[in-house]
Amino acid sequence: MIKAVIMMNTQGKPRLTKFYDFQPPEKQQELVRTLYSVLCTRPEGVSNFVDVASIFGPDSRLVYKHYATLYFVFVYDSAENELAMLDLIQVFVETLDKCFKNVCELDIVFNYGKLHTIIDEIIFGGQVLETNSAEIMRAVEEISRLEAASSTISLVPKSVSNWRSR
Amino acid sequence: MALSGMRGLSMFISDIRNCQNKEQERLRVDKELGNIRGKFKNEKGLSPYEKKKYVWKMLYVYMLGYDVDFGHMEAVSLISAPKYPEKQVGYIATSCLLNENHDFLRLAINAVRNDIIGRNETFQCLALTLVGNIGGREFAESLAPDVQRLLMSSGCRPLVRKKAALCLLRLYRKNPDVVNIDGWPDRMAQLLDERDLGVLTSAMSLLVALVSNNHDAYWSCVPKCVKILERLARNQDVPQDYTYYGIPSPWLQVKAMRALQYFPTIEDPSSRRSLFEVLQRILMGTDVVKNVNKNNASHAVLFEALALVMHLDAEKEMMSQCVALLGKFIAVREPNIRYLGLENMTRMLMVTDVHDIIKRHQAQIITSLKDPDISIRRRALDLLYGMCDVSNAKDIVEELLQYLSTAEFAMREELSLKAAILAEKFAPDLSWYVDVILQLIDKAGDFVSDDIWFRVVQFVTNNEDLQPYAALKAREYLEKPAIHETMVKVSAYILGEFGHLLARRPGCSPRELFSIIHEKLPAVSTSTIPILLSSYAKILMHMQPLDSELQRQISAVFRKYESCIDAEIQQRAVEYLALTVKGPALADILAEMPKFPERQSALIKKAEDAEIDTAEQSAIKLRAAQQGSNALVVADPLPANGTPPVGSLGLVKVPSMNTNTNYEATQKALPQPNGALSEMDSQQAIPSPDLLGDLLGPLAIEGPPGDAAQSEPGSASGAEATSNVVDALALAPVEEQPNSVQPIGSIAERFQNLCIKDSGVLYEDPYIQIGIKAEWRAHHGRMVLFLGNKNTAPLDSVRALILPPANLKMELSLVPETIPPRAQVQCPLEVVNLCPSRDVAVLDFSYKFAASMVNIKLRLPAVLNKFLQPLSLSAEEFFPSWRSLSGPPLKLQEVVRGVRPMPLIEMANLFNTYHLIVCPGLDPNPNNLVACTTFYSESTRAMLCLIRVETDPADRTQLRMTIASGDPTLTFELKEFIKEQLVAIPANPRAPPPSQAPAPPPAQAPTQVAALTDPGAILAGLL
Repeated sequence: MIKAVIMMNTQGKPRLTKFYDFQPPEKQQELVRTLYSVLCTRPEGVSNFVDVASIFGPDSRLVYKHYATLYFVFVYDSAENELAMLDLIQVFVETLDKCFKNVCELDIVFNYGKLHTIIDEIIFGGQVLETNSAEIMRAVEEISRLEAASSTISLVPKSVSNWRSR
Repeated sequence: MALSGMRGLSMFISDIRNCQNKEQERLRVDKELGNIRGKFKNEKGLSPYEKKKYVWKMLYVYMLGYDVDFGHMEAVSLISAPKYPEKQVGYIATSCLLNENHDFLRLAINAVRNDIIGRNETFQCLALTLVGNIGGREFAESLAPDVQRLLMSSGCRPLVRKKAALCLLRLYRKNPDVVNIDGWPDRMAQLLDERDLGVLTSAMSLLVALVSNNHDAYWSCVPKCVKILERLARNQDVPQDYTYYGIPSPWLQVKAMRALQYFPTIEDPSSRRSLFEVLQRILMGTDVVKNVNKNNASHAVLFEALALVMHLDAEKEMMSQCVALLGKFIAVREPNIRYLGLENMTRMLMVTDVHDIIKRHQAQIITSLKDPDISIRRRALDLLYGMCDVSNAKDIVEELLQYLSTAEFAMREELSLKAAILAEKFAPDLSWYVDVILQLIDKAGDFVSDDIWFRVVQFVTNNEDLQPYAALKAREYLEKPAIHETMVKVSAYILGEFGHLLARRPGCSPRELFSIIHEKLPAVSTSTIPILLSSYAKILMHMQPLDSELQRQISAVFRKYESCIDAEIQQRAVEYLALTVKGPALADILAEMPKFPERQSALIKKAEDAEIDTAEQSAIKLRAAQQGSNALVVADPLPANGTPPVGSLGLVKVPSMNTNTNYEATQKALPQPNGALSEMDSQQAIPSPDLLGDLLGPLAIEGPPGDAAQSEPGSASGAEATSNVVDALALAPVEEQPNSVQPIGSIAERFQNLCIKDSGVLYEDPYIQIGIKAEWRAHHGRMVLFLGNKNTAPLDSVRALILPPANLKMELSLVPETIPPRAQVQCPLEVVNLCPSRDVAVLDFSYKFAASMVNIKLRLPAVLNKFLQPLSLSAEEFFPSWRSLSGPPLKLQEVVRGVRPMPLIEMANLFNTYHLIVCPGLDPNPNNLVACTTFYSESTRAMLCLIRVETDPADRTQLRMTIASGDPTLTFELKEFIKEQLVAIPANPRAPPPSQAPAPPPAQAPTQVAALTDPGAILAGLL
């Protein structure tokens, strides 16, 4: 199971935190801080895996990827394949890239909500939901359309209106 | 874009970004939160759009680490908003902010259910996502059927169905009963025929979760998984979108192979053949390429294939192919592959007999210990630790020592602990062991725990041959200019005890020894001073001829500390000073330390405890548990350390270790073994610093009873303690030693545990561990007893006798009389169940260690439920049988009182663990349980048993039970058996609840047999 998805920038500021096994808010902050102190000391050209049993408890593994000013971090347990997790980070990043056309940190900061939508289409309750970035994009765009449609005019989707009038 | 349309939110985020420091940020956030709080208070004026905006702001603030509890209600209330955007933010915020136990969630449960059963697919998705992220037990109970319906419905879009699959997985984790419905396994198999890869991936995750708990119901999924693998890995038959850098959905391939690892084996020959063909293709066809992402993806599949090959225990040829691949990986440039190569080699050690092939890569692994990446260095350390055995211990430990000087602080403690353990476990000779530990203390004193130096002292004390050598070494280290305090402790201790053995060497006269130790005193802390004082006293005692000058010096030191503020130091100073004036009596009182009893190494125990913490049952561990071949015993954490083959374990040569006879001799010379005294420690009035208690407690006063009695009463509190010791010794003569062998862990608990499981530890004490692994087929059973000698000396006069009850025929193969040091022997035991009975067989086991006989009687877990085979009936099958068995003696009914109260689900689980399979839905009353099973014995053959339990929701302590079978004895015995499980607390059978009403079952033959031999121990347990 994937226990957490954390995005932070190279200054240690969180950009997205999603914990699939609940952590109280103080603990979340502490984890982000500890994690940052570990990640920022890792040189270039080393592996993407870090031992985090001392931070996240036994049977936790961590894989991260460093892009420009951002760290993408997945914490997971031994039920997952390590490299498949690394691949999933890549899928996440590629989807962001498609979504924002050359994603940068600012896109992520100001589209906080969209980020949630995207990650929810990739990971569901700590499990891999979808790995095909075209499919993820389709789902996300559908949601964006719905958001846009009903925020301008209060247009209830057809299926809903049918159902509600029953 | 909807969100960037929310100007308020963007403004707020850029305000936060513009804050110069944390304080400014806090001010800005507080202002905003105040604003939001105000808005929420007079809710009437808020449009849904505004509500949505504020909830997003809250979520952002929450991520920054601020408390937003006040907004939980708003977030939850948005869930029932009619329009998508509000609903969406309500769902997202709720699943981020709340946990599954939050009270507010209950308020939302209806709205969520409405969205799930409604027709709007986008709403369904939102609701499923919430439940899949934070749904708890209540959700599982009320939503599972709806979610299942969505998953199975062909009319739903894949987008919904894949979410439903994972949502069901979550609900299953919260309540395993959600899949406890008729025909579920078939539906699961049917799901695997799905063409849409998104749905298939989710369904596969669901399958992995199901089979990780219980694979038995899902055998029909095995060929489907193999088919999927063929489709992906061989035929590459996937839509373009689902190939990732040219690899057909690596995630699905990985999951399918993971699912297969939860099945003990794959018997169907055609599936097996196809699977191996695919695996072979993956193993052979994967190369390291330039594109990093492609590399990662192909190796994700490859590593999973390796794990599956290891699990399936493929032919030797394929295994060596795997090791060869791993050997290649640990030398490649790509750090991730190196990392995983090392990790997988370590896993491989756990499950298969490939030690020798892996050893060929030792040089490369040692190189990895110098890798720039700490993650890789850690893996290399783990692997070296795991692959170490007698043949390579010297090389590996020396490498670790060398690495210790350059290793970063983060690794030193682990490194030194591992080096110490390996040195102890595999020492070719003990002087080498002493060298290693002293080097360890010298190089990384701060990271050497007290356990490590305590252990070396124990070894030196117990081995006379070693003493002069250790003393000499200690003397050498003391000469170094700056040594670690731990080194001062251990050197001072050893020189105090054994320094006199060096007397003829230059520089080792008592005076010289004293001065070299005393030089260190000004620099040490208060915990070390008592050790120094003791060694002065010992030097004084060994001094021959008397050197009055030295005596004066030492007395002066004692006098100086007579008024020390530290109680321990003061007391020692006072006592030793008083003793110095006693002349020759001193020698008797301060005699050499007697030998320590053999005990489990505290270090190894510590390492084992650490292993146990890793609770997650990964497939690989499950595999290790299923494979009995040479594991010391399954539940024993030792296999983590590589499960070296028994043969090599037995080879450990510790030449100077006491053999049995000379241990006896030394025992005669020294009337009281160390253990007796250290047991006394807790009763002694002497306060001793905790960390030193083990070694130092007994040191202060020591001597034959007669001499101790001479010491002036009241001269020191120590005298009182001494007389205590005398009393204790008088009461515990050496002959009664067996009583002092304390089992490790509760025997009753271990037995109970084994009644449910088929492998584990039956008994353990400091000398021996008895493990059991059993297989049951119909009325036959085969148990293997694993007798493991934990010590460095052989166990003699080993005798195992089986006392079977009348209903079991048991045959134990020959048990060897001697178990060599550190070796393990396996003794198969054949069991045949003749007729139904709850009687239990007893193993009468005895052995001799160091002149003391130990005799233990243990119940063997060949219990009634082992001869039950799970069986699940439909209503059409159940009721005719139930009706045909009418009335006593074939059908018995009893009202049972004093039942341990438990929820019905828990009772159902309890029944299932005993192979009494609960069939839900047969009884219309939800407070009742109906279960069936098949019992096997020689007299009854396969016999159907039906059980019905009617519980009273108002009073959980009583129930009515009806049991039916075609055999009257069976019906009675089964009824009594189930009753025992329900009324007693299995973990603690000696303390049944006082309200237990039913009469205890009549004493039977085996009970008497056991009672004759050891009434107390056995009878208590038998009930």
